[in-house]
Amino acid sequence: MIRHIVYFCALAAFAQQHAPAPRGQKEFAQSCGFCHGEDATGARAPDLVRSPLVARDLGGDLIGPVIRGGRPDKGMPALPLPDNTIQDIVAYLHMRVGQAARSSHVGGDYPLERLLTGNAESGRAYFNGAGKCASCHSPTEDLAGIAKRYAPLYLEERILAPRPRPATVTVTTPSGEQVSGRLDHLDDFSVSLRDAAGWYHSWPRDRVKVSVHDPLQAHRDMLTKYTDADIHNLFAYLETLK
Amino acid sequence: MKNLARCATLCGSLMAALAQGLDPAALLQPPTDTWPTYNGDYTGRRYSPLQQIDAANVKSLTLAWAFQANSAAIKSTPLEVNGILYFTVPEQVWAIDARTGRQVWHYHYKKSDGDHIGHRGVAMWGNWLYFETPDAHLLCLDAKDGHVRWDIVLADVQLGYFATMAPLVVGNHVIAGVSGDATDIPGFLESVDPETGQQQWRWYTEPKPGEPGSETWPKNSDAITHGGGMTWMTGTYDPALHLLYWGTGNPNPVLAGDARPGDNLYTCSIVALNPDTGKLVWHFQPSPHDTHDWDAVETPVLFDADFGGKPRKLLAQASRNGFFFVLDRSSGEHLLTAPFIETNWTSGIDARGRPVALKEKEPHADGRLVYPGSDGATNWMSPSFDPPLGLFYVVARRVYSIFYYTATGKPEGWAGRDHDIWEESTLRALDYRTGQIRWNHELGPGESVAGILTTAGSLLFTGDAQSNLLVLDAATGKTLWHVNAGGSMVSSPMTYALDGRQYVVEGVGGVLYAWALPEGTALY
Repeated sequence: MIRHIVYFCALAAFAQQHAPAPRGQKEFAQSCGFCHGEDATGARAPDLVRSPLVARDLGGDLIGPVIRGGRPDKGMPALPLPDNTIQDIVAYLHMRVGQAARSSHVGGDYPLERLLTGNAESGRAYFNGAGKCASCHSPTEDLAGIAKRYAPLYLEERILAPRPRPATVTVTTPSGEQVSGRLDHLDDFSVSLRDAAGWYHSWPRDRVKVSVHDPLQAHRDMLTKYTDADIHNLFAYLETLK
Repeated sequence: MKNLARCATLCGSLMAALAQGLDPAALLQPPTDTWPTYNGDYTGRRYSPLQQIDAANVKSLTLAWAFQANSAAIKSTPLEVNGILYFTVPEQVWAIDARTGRQVWHYHYKKSDGDHIGHRGVAMWGNWLYFETPDAHLLCLDAKDGHVRWDIVLADVQLGYFATMAPLVVGNHVIAGVSGDATDIPGFLESVDPETGQQQWRWYTEPKPGEPGSETWPKNSDAITHGGGMTWMTGTYDPALHLLYWGTGNPNPVLAGDARPGDNLYTCSIVALNPDTGKLVWHFQPSPHDTHDWDAVETPVLFDADFGGKPRKLLAQASRNGFFFVLDRSSGEHLLTAPFIETNWTSGIDARGRPVALKEKEPHADGRLVYPGSDGATNWMSPSFDPPLGLFYVVARRVYSIFYYTATGKPEGWAGRDHDIWEESTLRALDYRTGQIRWNHELGPGESVAGILTTAGSLLFTGDAQSNLLVLDAATGKTLWHVNAGGSMVSSPMTYALDGRQYVVEGVGGVLYAWALPEGTALY
């Protein structure tokens, strides 16, 4: 297994070095970058990331002829590049279009340094003071090592909205009997729960009294109170809890 | 107007020979018992004069029929013309019997490229239906059997365009919009000939350099020619003023304001166009220089009512950015701006009635908490206006979201994204004169995407985000009827009457439910 992984990593590294798109990036910067910008987003000549011709190109069928023949009417010279170089440039341009399409990707690989604009010391003061975090949480107990448990982006988001935790509910029936358990469903018309033994119960809302205890309510209530600085300071502080 | 009159005459004679079609001249008279356009009529009020189902008898509302489309979620509003319902999902159209729910025909376009996010429905002119496809074609189908008469390309799917909307027929114009903001492409609205599909005009969301409005884009930049502003929701129309009202979508790159300093007209705008020429008559911009994907495509609802002590021809929109706007629809004069939900992105309202965005609430690498999130305080699900009550209804959402900016070089495409942190929904009845909330009906956790229908029975039909279909008292918001439909309504309800029986049709997942009073009920 390990041998396979090593082999795979070596292959990936080789592919990285010798893949057409990275080769094309160099070629593009050298041959085209002066006019189209080193990253193809345009300079004196158009942005090729948003170019209709590039969008419609299939494997160089449209880009190739433009490189080879130039666009004399628009001042672009013909570039007599070898076919494989042109193919590399084509691969690079499609990669750049793909990067634009993925610019909405924000996930677990989001870099820590982009999020880390706050001040950890101010975050700690907020944690123990205005944020009232310390009334439920402790940096040495439930939050010990929290920064190791979550990717940076998810840590920032979980501060605001922790992983949903079932609320508990007590239902008082018309006879006065009280049943408590984990809230299963609640809307205007029905309420249901699971009791301590794991059994499911439900009632019409208009026949019973319902009292919900939601441990996340405090987090909900804070959403209109945070400043962005509070969030970033708090995040910087929790990032120190490794 | 001349064209319209000529067309009305032409179609009038056409109709005499062909009994099952829809005379476009008939659209000029608000329908009383049919639903011939996406919004039911040109005003976009989604208020039906039908009143057989009312507060006194709604408790006995029952299932008349159900239709299993075995499809993606139905987001379209069916048309009802001559006893046939026409509805869609991406790539597919159904004609079903409005009395029984039995299928008349089904059309499936080819497996196509383009975003299949949803589909809102068809338009009808004479015997023909107009249907947009995910790869941004516009098809003309024979309403009799679903046979394709012609198929034209509205926009190139390879550039990032797609289509979801229900076109609007005005006279001899089929007016069709397009979608797509993953790439930086210009938005436009197109009018084609209903018989041939030939283009009559195309209005581009962005002005050409040098034209009025171009000063709201950076100079010496390609921003204005790649500025987005899609036209993906059906507009409304005032026959007396002969003006077409349309909402436009967000500018591109979506979250990257610094790439396009200025207001970025006519993105995130309500525009009034001449339906014969596509020329802009006036505009109002709910979200100048948008950086949060707050399309202003929500239905521009038209009604005549007193405002400030004077009778006015009004246009109202509850916009995705959380603000309710009222304009004079003759001139575009701004009359009212009021929040319909809590927001945290403005420092106030400017002299022209536009919310002023806070720079620090623009998307940023470190994430900024903004409400509403990009899904919006409301969205494409229909609002409604009840004229006797003077109330404007909107499904309003409290969406708390963090906006991240991802670009490091020149931004392209979205250049970031927001992640929702918390979502709740509520239904609000707004006093159109003040924007004040007359009543509030909480719909629970989650983002409700159910639209609203009101009727002369003083009823309001909608759904919540917990699979319940609801009928509320339109005056008070009190629940009068409900059922767990086994899935959420992600469409907007519609109603019609046939053989003296009123039906309300609601899409839930891939099922259409038709509700009515029990057969044998004394129907007056």
